[in-house]
Amino acid sequence: MLKNYISIMRGAGLAALMLYGASLVAQTTATGVINGSLVNKNGISIQFDTDPAGVTLGAAGTNAATANFGAVSAFGPLSGGVTRPSVTAANFTVRTIFDVQVIQGGLTSTTYTLTANLAAAAPTGMNYKVDAVTLTTAAQTIQVNGAYSTAIPHNLDLVVSTAAPGAGGPAVGTPITTTINFTATAN
Amino acid sequence: MKKVMLLTIFAALMMISSAAVAQTATGTLTVTATVNGSIQLVFNSDAAGVALSSGAGTNTATLAFGNVSAFGAISAGIVRSTTASNFTVSSAVDVQVAKTNSASANYTLKAQLGAADAVNTWTVGGVAVTNAAQSTLTATGAYAANSNFPVAITVPFTTASGTLISNTINYTATAN
Repeated sequence: MLKNYISIMRGAGLAALMLYGASLVAQTTATGVINGSLVNKNGISIQFDTDPAGVTLGAAGTNAATANFGAVSAFGPLSGGVTRPSVTAANFTVRTIFDVQVIQGGLTSTTYTLTANLAAAAPTGMNYKVDAVTLTTAAQTIQVNGAYSTAIPHNLDLVVSTAAPGAGGPAVGTPITTTINFTATAN
Repeated sequence: MKKVMLLTIFAALMMISSAAVAQTATGTLTVTATVNGSIQLVFNSDAAGVALSSGAGTNTATLAFGNVSAFGAISAGIVRSTTASNFTVSSAVDVQVAKTNSASANYTLKAQLGAADAVNTWTVGGVAVTNAAQSTLTATGAYAANSNFPVAITVPFTTASGTLISNTINYTATAN
């Protein structure tokens, strides 16, 4: 009986020592393995940049920018970055320049096609052009061979009727806002 | 073998599917402009008057009468009248005012000499103009039409021969 007791106690002591040793080892060494994996997805992005010759864009460098021409008129002063290429009896055109930059990754495509459309019908007395292409609510092709990773300047023209408000001309003295949607498609 | 074939076909289909989907990116540019009404004044040569020597079709023109005298030869386009103490030379000059984005029906036109002239008398459209204040030439000017407002200078006989007479007339058109 005593013999058994001593044997049990020895076993318990040994187990305790082993556990103590194990805990000491655990405090100084730890190992782990993480199996990481990724799937490289291809894609393209578009952003609008301020052109040195144009108005300063709001939220430049993003795909949701703003371009404010400020006050425009047929004969009065214009904001910096806005020019007036033409004035006729029927209308006048004010222009600014903005840049579009399209970046691609993981594609074999070397160029892209750029289209644009008005988000809603143009306000009365106003027409919008990008690179001389008149915009409508249907997509219009602006460029078919755009180079990636390059800020490409585009002319944005507002063709304003000279007619008075209520007679076919635009509202005056109040900001007129229009959204233009652009889509770049990898060729 | 069958398994390999199936896998090959599946992989091919995946590639075709991937190639068929065009990669696109979209963005929006919000454009804002505030249209203001405006008017513009330009000078044009009148067929009956002296041709503007420069600046026709702009708002900064030059009208040169050349040599004038009470009784001598006078250039074409100049109308002359003479009294006992002075003579007047006059030339038709067209003023055209255009309006845009405005419901204004007509305009008021005023003129003023750029510098005082104590010797000669100046009129535009028959209205005396000085440098003291603007003179109203018309209060109902018609837009987009050449309107003749003759420029006239009355010169006293006491003026020495060879005297250069020059002044600037400032015009202001205001939409009514």
